[in-house]
Amino acid sequence: MLHKKVDENLDIDRVFDSPAEDFDVFIRIAREEDIAVARQMAKQLAQEAGFSLADVTKIATAVSELARNIYRYAKQGRIMIKKLLDDREGPYLEIIASDNGPGIAEIDLVMTRGYTTYERSLGIGLSGVKRLMDTFAIYSEVGRGTVVITGKRRRKF
Amino acid sequence: MKKLISKARVVPVICLGDFLLVPIQIDLDDRTVGLLQQQVLEEIESTRARAVILDVRMVDVIDSYISYTISETAAMARLMGCRTVLCGIQPPVALTLAQMGVMLQDIAVARDLEHALLIAGSQSGVG
Repeated sequence: MLHKKVDENLDIDRVFDSPAEDFDVFIRIAREEDIAVARQMAKQLAQEAGFSLADVTKIATAVSELARNIYRYAKQGRIMIKKLLDDREGPYLEIIASDNGPGIAEIDLVMTRGYTTYERSLGIGLSGVKRLMDTFAIYSEVGRGTVVITGKRRRKF
Repeated sequence: MKKLISKARVVPVICLGDFLLVPIQIDLDDRTVGLLQQQVLEEIESTRARAVILDVRMVDVIDSYISYTISETAAMARLMGCRTVLCGIQPPVALTLAQMGVMLQDIAVARDLEHALLIAGSQSGVG
């Protein structure tokens, strides 16, 4: 599973400036209420894409964690979700959480279960997202921002 | 006697003998969860309830912050001599919480309302 600090191929600023029309859901996170909005919209998109109720819940929860991280640590950023179609393997939902916040100096530390710099927190947000989703990658640079790209494939049932 | 009533009532609270029944039927954004905690604590104080039952049957997403606040509320209620019982967690929510590693260990959990009332009324048990 991808778990990199800085990837040469990924430009944090360019991801942040992605055009809204490239995505099915594009939400600016700037207020606390936006967390719930992002969660609801992710849930609706996953439902429309035919994900099982269990996976819809996991996706909505993951988006909730990512949106809250943006709001807490970067103050603002965006959640972008896109439905990718693959004839062989069925639809795939890709979620990008992007901000121009302070960045993360020690990614391994923030991916550790129970680690948090926020006092009212369980410290399981990012590690939880990784567990709930199929793919997970995080890119961060101090002073530039953070990008989390995570996805889930629709299971055949 | 004047009682301190919370300005923001976000959930209905039903008095049931010594117990408070709190059905949560709204979307829990962060602000609402905070107000819910405040309201529940104020209701415990004013009613001197022995136990509070939080019914989350209608809640379809419980993330780490909501879990944290529920646990924290239970801890606060315990300090006020009141037991907290959580009931009605939906299967997909249980699956998600378990996969994330949220155990909600400090709070009593019940299968349904009937079970919750039984736990709330029992002398032993956690929460």
